[in-house]
Amino acid sequence: MVKIAYFDSSNSLGESTVMASAVTYTAEWPVLVSIIFSPPQNYPLYIRSVPTENELKFHYTVHTSLDVVDEKISAMGKALVDQRELYLGLLYPTEDYKVYGYVTNSKVKFVMVVDSSNTALRDNEIRSMFRKLHNSYTDIMCNPFYNPGDRIHSR
Amino acid sequence: MSVPDYMQCAEDHQTLLVVVQPIGIVPEESFFRIYKRISAVSQVNVRDSQRVLYIRYRHHYPPENNEWGDFQTHRKVVGLITITDCSSAKDWPQTFEKFHLQKEMYGSTLYDSRLFVFGLQGEIAEQPRTDVAFYPSYDECETVEKRIEDFIESLFIVLESKRLDRATDKSGDKIPLLCVPFEKKDFVGLDTDSRHYKKRCQGRMRKHVGDLCLQAGMLQDSLVHYHMAVELLRSVNDFLWLGAALEGLCSASVIYHYPGGTGGKVGSRRAQGGSLSAEAGNRHRPGALTSNGINADTSAEIGRAKNCLSPEDIIDKYKEAISYYGKYKNAGVIELEACVKAVRVLAIQKRSMEASEFLQNAVYINLRQLSEEEKIQRYSILSELYERIGFHRKSAFFKRIAAMQCAAPSIPEPGWRACYKLLLETLPGYSLSLDPKDFSKGTHRGWAAVQMRLLHELVYASRRMGNPALCVRHLSFLLQTMLDFLSDQEKKDVTQSLESYTAKCPGTMEFITLPDGLKLPPVPFTKLPIVRSVKLLNLPTSLRPHKMKSLLGQNVSTKSPFIYSPIIAHSRGEERNKKIDFQWVQGDVCEVQLMVYNPMPFELRVENMGLLTTGVEFESLPAALSLPAESGLYPVTLVGVPQTTGQITVNGYHTSVFGVFSDCLLDNLPGVKTNGCTVEVIPALPRLQISTSLPRSAHTLQPSSGDEISTNVSVQLYNGETQQLIIKLENIGTEPLEKLEVTAKTVNTKEKLYGDFLSWKLEDTLSQFPLKPGKIATFTVNIKVKLDFSCQENLLQDLSDDGISVSGLPLSSPFRQVVKPRVETKPINPQESSKVGDFSHVKTLEAILNFKYSGGPGHVEGYYRNLSLGLHVEVEPSVFFTRVSTLPATSTRQCHLLLDVFNSTEHELTISARNNEDLILHAGECQRMAIQVDKFNFESFPESPTDGTQFANAKQLEEERQQAKGLEINSKLDICWKIISFHEYFVEGVLNQLVLEHLQLAPLQWGEFLIRLVQRLWNVECSIPTTCMPVTSFRKSPQFIRK
Repeated sequence: MVKIAYFDSSNSLGESTVMASAVTYTAEWPVLVSIIFSPPQNYPLYIRSVPTENELKFHYTVHTSLDVVDEKISAMGKALVDQRELYLGLLYPTEDYKVYGYVTNSKVKFVMVVDSSNTALRDNEIRSMFRKLHNSYTDIMCNPFYNPGDRIHSR
Repeated sequence: MSVPDYMQCAEDHQTLLVVVQPIGIVPEESFFRIYKRISAVSQVNVRDSQRVLYIRYRHHYPPENNEWGDFQTHRKVVGLITITDCSSAKDWPQTFEKFHLQKEMYGSTLYDSRLFVFGLQGEIAEQPRTDVAFYPSYDECETVEKRIEDFIESLFIVLESKRLDRATDKSGDKIPLLCVPFEKKDFVGLDTDSRHYKKRCQGRMRKHVGDLCLQAGMLQDSLVHYHMAVELLRSVNDFLWLGAALEGLCSASVIYHYPGGTGGKVGSRRAQGGSLSAEAGNRHRPGALTSNGINADTSAEIGRAKNCLSPEDIIDKYKEAISYYGKYKNAGVIELEACVKAVRVLAIQKRSMEASEFLQNAVYINLRQLSEEEKIQRYSILSELYERIGFHRKSAFFKRIAAMQCAAPSIPEPGWRACYKLLLETLPGYSLSLDPKDFSKGTHRGWAAVQMRLLHELVYASRRMGNPALCVRHLSFLLQTMLDFLSDQEKKDVTQSLESYTAKCPGTMEFITLPDGLKLPPVPFTKLPIVRSVKLLNLPTSLRPHKMKSLLGQNVSTKSPFIYSPIIAHSRGEERNKKIDFQWVQGDVCEVQLMVYNPMPFELRVENMGLLTTGVEFESLPAALSLPAESGLYPVTLVGVPQTTGQITVNGYHTSVFGVFSDCLLDNLPGVKTNGCTVEVIPALPRLQISTSLPRSAHTLQPSSGDEISTNVSVQLYNGETQQLIIKLENIGTEPLEKLEVTAKTVNTKEKLYGDFLSWKLEDTLSQFPLKPGKIATFTVNIKVKLDFSCQENLLQDLSDDGISVSGLPLSSPFRQVVKPRVETKPINPQESSKVGDFSHVKTLEAILNFKYSGGPGHVEGYYRNLSLGLHVEVEPSVFFTRVSTLPATSTRQCHLLLDVFNSTEHELTISARNNEDLILHAGECQRMAIQVDKFNFESFPESPTDGTQFANAKQLEEERQQAKGLEINSKLDICWKIISFHEYFVEGVLNQLVLEHLQLAPLQWGEFLIRLVQRLWNVECSIPTTCMPVTSFRKSPQFIRK
């Protein structure tokens, strides 16, 4: 379960919860979830990794994966822009992890790093997780107290 | 085969490998000069054919790679050029011997070789030899190029003969099996007569011929051979060679499709003549005419369409080839090189995603244990390739790894310099620049976590390089740009290390230029502390310059002929935004207030904080401050002295934090509020300091006009008293004081004042002028307090009480003094007690003395300064005249004026009047005194000159007249009081005069009625001489008063 919440000055206005596909999958965590702001800044709005040790390694992984995201977006630009699929699929596999990407129409990127050995997470599960993540992000953007571009804080 | 050549590209398949090596002792510089000239000859048009030979020169080539020459002929060293330095004929045989030794190293594959001898002259040099060329020196060798071309032609002849020899299909002969070094042992004892074996031999030979054709410039032939080889080898599952054949096919196709080359090096391939471009131009028109007539190689045209691979097929075939190579562990280098070549092709095709897959594959190819240097090379090349396909982040990632490898702990002598250089190259990939300006605006760019890491590594590398200035610069940059992302602990660590570095080498505002020309801009600490607002402060009121009115008027009139114009007003309004409407004065301390706060979780010590200005020579007086941890907004005042006049602009401020000097310009600061930064500096003015004989007062005046009082003095006086105030004027400035004007203004005028409150004679003081700096002049002011001596409230109360008033009018002899103090000072009476309270009421008078002064150059410019002295006078009541009445005297020309006098002081005092004896009053006592006065006619007063002429002035006239009458009465009566127990002088004549005037003014203040009353009293006496009349009139008079 991935929780993303936001605060206003007085009280928590709302909180959105992303369920990993279904309750049954709660055991199957993505190793890392990241929301990355739209270009040209391209900095992370939110990063949450489950093994907190050696987190910088994942930072590098996600950072370099942006190359692939850029490439995929630009390749898609030639194709149908309106009808395009937000889910980018597997960005690239590394030895231990798989990196998946998702890009909203406003070019906000979601990147998820999953343990390669985790077979429970197939394409469909990843896709629905991204969709829920996107919904939560939309909720955050709806919060009048949130400034687009600020870091997202999770409870 | 263990050393991969990462620089390889597909076109290299068509080149002939020539090794150029020095033997003996050849100066490196000279060798490379010759090497450069030799390698310039990389394309040779072979005579009488259209074919072009491409040569690849190497000055170093591992012989074990040469062993793979049969597998791919471009790996075979076919030519050897040796360069040697031989000064005497005696050394010659030895040198020649070495040349032969060198030849043997590559002997099996060499087609031909050359020896270039430099420095040898004489007999030996004159012998004509084909394989040796003699040159007198490195500078005199014009024929080197020619020699090389001849040499290449000889290579071509050998190549061509080999090609023709192997291309002709001699079915009868047994075809030898070509094999790579690691295969040799596998074929021992194999049946050489089987069809399978024969086919394998055929396939491999086809592939070999294809290679030779490609090298010999026969592209189309090579394609045909490669195709045949692929078919043959596929049927026998000879995967390694199948891969090689496929790769050959790809290479040939790439050469055909991309004549510009895939290596990306512009200089490496000279676009020679028409052949390449012509071929490129007419490749879609088979059989077309070229500039040289009909294309000689017509056979090529026919097979072209089907033999050459399409760009998509090239990649498929590369993939296939690489997958076959992958089956053999020993062919790792081949696989790696194939990957690199494929990536280069894909980069040209702009198919980054597929290229990245190839690269990803290349990453996983496990070669034997690599040396550190090879690792660095490998990562660098990966980085370069990622860069080429537009994966800047990935490229930066590998470059960083390469950099880390340079300084790996396993290396005995870490190459920090190389590490630093590589790290610098990664910066763009992490969207990091070393210019702090890029980070000052808007939201942060790029991935802060990895950027921070990189900056830390830069700091470390530069420190290990032994360049503390660089280290400080990077660390400052880290602190400045990443402040928002550093945790509290990190902030502490970073600042601590920064301080320790700056102890050795303070941070400056200079550009740091690196050896390779990169310039590191200075990093001003605009966030340590953060400045929120900058406000230029006006001078203190007493030092503020004012413009003389007349000059100001001139100024306005010269600006514009119009009294009002909306256009001008508009432009002025804009100007005002930047310019401030006050002035600073040359030579005076001027202040700028900054609101700052400290974002650090610990106390921030800012040293040497001062202003940066332009326009006027400005002596900044630096301040040091210490801001508490995470302080709120904190006001800081920076001061300085303008030394010249003109427009001064405050551009920013400089600080020294953690040993780093920063010049922070306001233009570069985001979110700074300012009220304008340009102010005018006017010429110097003198400064006046005043001190007085009176004590300073804690009581501050609040003047209405907004100007402040620099000094306040207070004095306590009894009503009617006079005191002298001596003011010392000291010129504490540097300019002579030339002009002085003094004006006084009474404030808080609830009380009606009579006569001059303050009076002075300026002439005495002005005679001491001009006042030189440091000199003192004195100035005397007389303070007179004359308030109402009557007791208005008391009287009114009396009126309400008829009995008292009647009893207060006894008809008795004129000289009789009614001495009934017990009765008069009735403390028992509640009405009276309230009266007493009124009597003791202390009244205050306040006045401001304004000193307008000027001098020096500022005076010439028409400026003056204004210094105000606040005067606070507490007036204690002295005597009160509670009742006034008259009695007729014995003579008709005279009458008795009866006054009830009340002593409200705590002292015994005496009242005296003209022609009268003193009356002694005890504290709180009330007595009646009678004064015999001459009657006089008010009508006899001289009418004021304007009398009757101006109707509008009637009221004023009336007042004047009344005042004159009051004065007249005063002079007649001449009443004064003095306190006996007090200082003698205090009760002197001056005082008397005061009292006198007061008395006379008292009736005035009672209003018209009282004036009239007194007048009537006199008038009645004067006009009606009958004795009976006054009595009635007297009786009436108090009633008049009552109303």
